[in-house]
Amino acid sequence: MHKTRSTLIFLSPWLVSFAVFWAFPLIFSLVLSFLHFNPLRPDTTHVVWLSNFVKALQDPLFWKSLKNTLLFVAGTVPVTTLVAFFLAVAINQRIPFRTLYRSGFFIPSIVSVVVISIIFKQLYSPFGLVNKLAELLGSEPRSWLSEPRTALLCIMAMDVWASFGYYTILFLAGLQAIPLEVYEAARIDGSGFWGTLRFVTIPMVRPITLFIVVINTIRSFQVFIEIFVMTRGGPLNSTLTSVFYLYDRAFYRFEMGYASALAYLLFVVILCFSLVQMKYLKMGRAAGE
Amino acid sequence: MPDDRAGETTECAVNRVRRNPIFLLPVCAAFSFVFFGLLVSGCGREKGVRLTFWQFWPSEVIEPIIEEFEKANPGVDVEMQQLTWQNGFEKIVASVSSGTQPDLCELGSTWVPRFAADGVLGDVTGEVGALKDSLLFWESCSLNGRVYGIPWVAGTRALFYNKELFEKAGLNPDSPPETWEELIECARKIHSPGNGVYGFGMNAGERYILFKKFMPFAWGNGGKILNQDLSRSEFASGENLEALVFYCSLKKYSLVEKQDVLDMAFKQGKIGLEISGGWNLKTIPADAPDLKFGVAVVPKPKACCGTHASFAGSEILVTFVKSGHQKEALKLARFLVEKQNVISLCRSAKSVQPIFRGAQNDPYYDANPLEKMFVVQLSTAVAPPPHPKWPEIEEIIESTVEEVTYGTRKPEEALLEADNKINSIVSSTGD
Repeated sequence: MHKTRSTLIFLSPWLVSFAVFWAFPLIFSLVLSFLHFNPLRPDTTHVVWLSNFVKALQDPLFWKSLKNTLLFVAGTVPVTTLVAFFLAVAINQRIPFRTLYRSGFFIPSIVSVVVISIIFKQLYSPFGLVNKLAELLGSEPRSWLSEPRTALLCIMAMDVWASFGYYTILFLAGLQAIPLEVYEAARIDGSGFWGTLRFVTIPMVRPITLFIVVINTIRSFQVFIEIFVMTRGGPLNSTLTSVFYLYDRAFYRFEMGYASALAYLLFVVILCFSLVQMKYLKMGRAAGE
Repeated sequence: MPDDRAGETTECAVNRVRRNPIFLLPVCAAFSFVFFGLLVSGCGREKGVRLTFWQFWPSEVIEPIIEEFEKANPGVDVEMQQLTWQNGFEKIVASVSSGTQPDLCELGSTWVPRFAADGVLGDVTGEVGALKDSLLFWESCSLNGRVYGIPWVAGTRALFYNKELFEKAGLNPDSPPETWEELIECARKIHSPGNGVYGFGMNAGERYILFKKFMPFAWGNGGKILNQDLSRSEFASGENLEALVFYCSLKKYSLVEKQDVLDMAFKQGKIGLEISGGWNLKTIPADAPDLKFGVAVVPKPKACCGTHASFAGSEILVTFVKSGHQKEALKLARFLVEKQNVISLCRSAKSVQPIFRGAQNDPYYDANPLEKMFVVQLSTAVAPPPHPKWPEIEEIIESTVEEVTYGTRKPEEALLEADNKINSIVSSTGD
């Protein structure tokens, strides 16, 4: 009893902030999703049951935003994971300036996304470096972020650049946890580089891969700052993502109830994805062991 | 015996604290809370009134004016907070919703009708009688005949043109285009994308801004968004169609980009003409001191007809129904809209212009012709209709213009569809 109490006291800063800043908003927004709630007129609040959800399912912009978000996730997560994995394998070898690479790759992760977005907005501008490169390759200069076909792709490319370093470091930690004996055994058995990679390295880093894929998927589903800074959903809603759309509904149309319903729909989508990923990757792990 | 037991318990507790000083933590925390609480409430209990004022300008611009006010009104202490354009609006909404709103607040004119319709703004109809004749833009802060704020300053958009590019293209750098035809002709002559030079800077792919660039042409052509009593859409008119077709015809000679990219390109001498705001008058001398440029009013449809319309957005000083110090807040508002204070704000901000009558005759503007052009432009500029659901209407206009600009819709059908959508918004009651 004595011990529990002091444990609770030590934990209290976290417990209090969790309750106030996480648990309460989480429950409050769930309640909101069943209400009509205009923040300027709390007096007009009334229960609408499921009609926010029904409205969302009939809202073409909701589907458009979900489609864009899925595209974003499908485009960035595999690329980021692959790039991060191979870079981690590369800098895990005994190569010169290894530490320099390690910290270099990590630098984008410590820079604010807002700063990165502003820099990339300039890079993608008609007079930016990307166009200079395109010109060298013999292509026409274009307004990358102002064309509906290229805007989302550009933001995806930026996101891969901004996040692979963090996952590289995670992979590296996973790689260094693999006992050297396993590699020695593989070498004695006559396994080459690719064979070792396929039958030793990949199965051994599966837990960290699971972690990276799940975390990166969740994070990518919630993409917001990049959109907010670079395109605000345009042009022609080609970069309208779920979180940006619900933010727009909540703070520019004052439809807090509807926005909360959108948030919970997104939550369900993310939950399904995470469950599938965990099931699939865990199963693979069991087979690998 | 009971005494003994009491002693034992105390001893036990003391021992426990001695063993485990963590138990002292909550006690210390409680004491420090009480102490700081007293300190804070003590500060607030100074004699007089503490007035909270939220606004968007850099504090070095506003602080001197506030100090003047405090000097003239000894009992009033103004606590000023600077909001940012990125998140100030959310902050205002959250504060109103939680009852922690300021006493006086700056609000963009397009938001005033919405806040007024939701019944959160203080009705100042009876307080502004004396100001009515000296200031403009009252319609932006009125709803159903009642006034909910005091217009402070206004911003508009004018035509910026690069004199050097004009000369290179064989155009007279001292006669900017007056009509649509001249505008497209100038853009055509300057346009040379192979050399990295574009005729016109056309906005696209950016919300909250695009309508400010398209509507000047529509308004100048006599087009409207809503009818007089704001009950019906007039967006699909022939005038608006002409304007939309003209706007899109500029694309051929344009760099299509976002506002900040266009402004940057203009400073780099890569754009011949663009419609932009007064902020450039502040940034061009700093970023591109050698740029030779001029400012003119937005061209009108033809020499014989139409107007040099542009977008007019004003900053309104509002109080809230729940604000504590309405009287003092209005006193501060009246002080802020006084001629010399408005001029001093406009002088340092440059992106806004005064809205008292006859501002262009002020000696400051005689000495600064480029800035004066904005004041002149303001006299023919049009404010968006003060409808509570303006943000939604604005979004429809922008997506319509965008769809036609990118060629995914025909102008006629896009306008008709927008007309229907706007009608369904203005006809629905409540929210």
